[in-house]
Amino acid sequence: METELRNAIRKLLEEKTVDVAIGYGRVGVNGAVGATFVTNPDDVDRLVWNNECRQNLATHLTRAEIKKLGKPAIVVKACDARAVVVLCNEAQIKREDVYVIGVVCDGIETADAAGNKTGALMGKCLSCVEHAAKNVDLLIGDEAAAKALDEKNAPNAKSVGHYEKLAKLRAMSQKERFEYWREQFSKCIRCHACRQNCPLCYCNRCVADKNRPTRIDTSSSLKGNFAWNILRAFHLAGRCVGCGACAAACPAGIELDLLNLTLANAAEDQFGYVSGKELGELPLIGTYSPTDKEEFIR
Amino acid sequence: MSHIITLEQLKKTLADKISSGAQVVAPTLRGELAFFQKIDDVNQAVLEPRVRFQNSIKEFFFPRHETIFSFVRQGSDVQLVDAPEFDVEQIVVGARPCDAASLPILDPLFAWDYQDRFFQSRRAKSTVVVFACKTSDAHCFCTAVGGAPDSTNGADAILFALDDGSFEVRCVTDKGKALFSGKTQESDKTGAACAPPSVDFDVEKIATWIRGNFASPVWEEISYRCVGCGACAFVCPTCHCFDIVDEGSYSKGKRVKNWDSCQTVLFTLHASGHNPRATQGARQRQRMMHKFVIYPDKFNAKLCTGCGACSRSCGVSFGVRPALEELAKVANQSENN
Repeated sequence: METELRNAIRKLLEEKTVDVAIGYGRVGVNGAVGATFVTNPDDVDRLVWNNECRQNLATHLTRAEIKKLGKPAIVVKACDARAVVVLCNEAQIKREDVYVIGVVCDGIETADAAGNKTGALMGKCLSCVEHAAKNVDLLIGDEAAAKALDEKNAPNAKSVGHYEKLAKLRAMSQKERFEYWREQFSKCIRCHACRQNCPLCYCNRCVADKNRPTRIDTSSSLKGNFAWNILRAFHLAGRCVGCGACAAACPAGIELDLLNLTLANAAEDQFGYVSGKELGELPLIGTYSPTDKEEFIR
Repeated sequence: MSHIITLEQLKKTLADKISSGAQVVAPTLRGELAFFQKIDDVNQAVLEPRVRFQNSIKEFFFPRHETIFSFVRQGSDVQLVDAPEFDVEQIVVGARPCDAASLPILDPLFAWDYQDRFFQSRRAKSTVVVFACKTSDAHCFCTAVGGAPDSTNGADAILFALDDGSFEVRCVTDKGKALFSGKTQESDKTGAACAPPSVDFDVEKIATWIRGNFASPVWEEISYRCVGCGACAFVCPTCHCFDIVDEGSYSKGKRVKNWDSCQTVLFTLHASGHNPRATQGARQRQRMMHKFVIYPDKFNAKLCTGCGACSRSCGVSFGVRPALEELAKVANQSENN
C-alpha cells in the first residue's frame, strides 16, 4: 500500500495535478509519525502509511502556511475523509481544489505514555464500520478487505470501543458524571492542542481568543476549563466526525473524544444524522426537517 | 560511607511534612498517566524514578493561573487587594533532574528588571528533591545542553533508587540536609543513574547557524507540520511567558496571569491587525532563538534542559529535539560548504 501511495503521489506531483502532498512521514523522535509535506516528486519516499498514522491531516487544509503551497493532495483515513466532507459542506474549501487520497485503514493503534504503539486499537477503531474512505478521488488498498472488516464490526459497533465507555458514562448518576468530567477537565492546561489539531476547529478567531470583551475565562481554573471544553464540544455538536485527533493530541490525556461522542451520538439517535457522510449535505444545526421530533418546529 | 533512606522512612518524612502544614508535591497517577500534584495523603505519591510526566514541576513555582490582585468597586471607589504571598513550606519530591534544572535557569528572569515576588516566594519556601534517572528515552537530550541523569542543578537533594526499594540520599544544600537530617542510615550501598542519553548534534554549532540565518527558508520548511498550539510551551519546564487578563464582572473581579505561548497567532497580533510573526515558521524560529540565542545572550544560560517533554507531548511529532536535528543538518551543510 505504501508503495502504491508513493507512486500515486509521485505521478500527481510530476503531472502537476497538485503542488503539494500532505501525508504521513516518520518525522519525529525515533521515527514517530507526523504530518509531512512533499512538493518534489523525488521526495515521495518520505511518505509512510501504517497503524501509527493517528493525526487527522485535514487540519492542515485550512492553515495559511499550507494554502500558500498551492493545490494539495491529502492522505485520509475514512474518519479523516468525513472531516474533508464537512469542510466542503461548510464552505471552507472547495472539493475540486483538493485531491483526496483515501487509504484503506484496518485500525490505528494507541500510543503509551512513551509514545510507543501499544498493540491495542483506538476506541474509535474498535467500533469503526467504515474502513475504506469515501468521497475520495483515489482509494488505495483492498476495498473488499475493508468491506469485510466493516461487516465484522457492524454487529457490535455500538457496544464496543468508546461506545462501551459512553455506556458506562451514561450509567452514572448525574453527580458521578459531573465528578468524572471535573477530574478530566481539572487536568486541562488550556494549550488548545485539541482545537489546533481538529480539522473542524477552523475559526479565524476562536471564541476562546476573544478579548473585547472576553467571552470565556482564559484561565485554566476549573471554571475556565469547564467553560472551554464544554463550549468546544457544543460547537462541534452535529459536526464532529469522531476522528479522535483532539484526544490523541491532548498532553493531559483528557477523554475529549468521549465528550464529542456523546453529542455525535445524540445527533444520530435524535436526528439520524452522521456528520461528514455525504457531500452537499446540509449541516444538522443550521437546518430543520418536518420530521424533527420536537413540536415547536412545526 | 553513603546515606540510605527506606521507602517507608521517605513516606513518613513526607507524611510528617503534610501534617505539619507543608505543601507536598509528588508524582501521582491519574489513570495511566503520571502528573505532579499536591498530595494530601502520602499514599497518593508514586515514589519511583520515571521518564514521562504529563506536566513539569514548573507549575508549583510559576502556576498556570495565578491571581495578582482582586478588586471590588463600590460606587466610584475601587478597592484593590494584593494576592497574598506564598508563605507555606513546599516540598517537591520525585522531580527529574532536567525538571529541577529549570529553576536556576529561571531565577535571573524573575529577578531582573522586575522582582517577581510570586516566583521568588515559592522558590524561597521550596525544597526540591530529585530522583536520579534510571532510564532515558529517545526524547531525552540533557547531555546536549549540559545536563546529566544525575545532575543536581536546581536540586536540594538527589535520591538514587536502589534495588531493594530504598534510596541513597545525597544532600546538595542546607535545605536538603534539613529535610533528611536524622532520617537516614549510614550504609556502604551506593546508587547510580542510567547512562547519559546519546545525542548526535552540537547545540553550540546550531546556535551559531541560527544567529546567521534569521531569513532562511528552513524555518518555514521545518514548521509546516506545526499546528500552533501551546502544548510544547506549557509542558516545558523553562518556557515562562504569560498573559495578564482581568476576570470577573464590572463590580468585582481579579487580575490574573496565565501561561501563554509564542506558538499561537494571537501572541504577537497587534491591535492594528499586523502580526510581526505572521507565519508558523517565524513563530518556531522565535522559540528556538529564545532558547538557544536570546536567553543565553541575556542570562548566560540556555532556555532548555533537554527533558524532551515538548516532543513527547506534541500531537504532530515536533518539538525541540526534532527541530534541533533538522537544524543540525543545515548547520553541518553550511559548515562543509
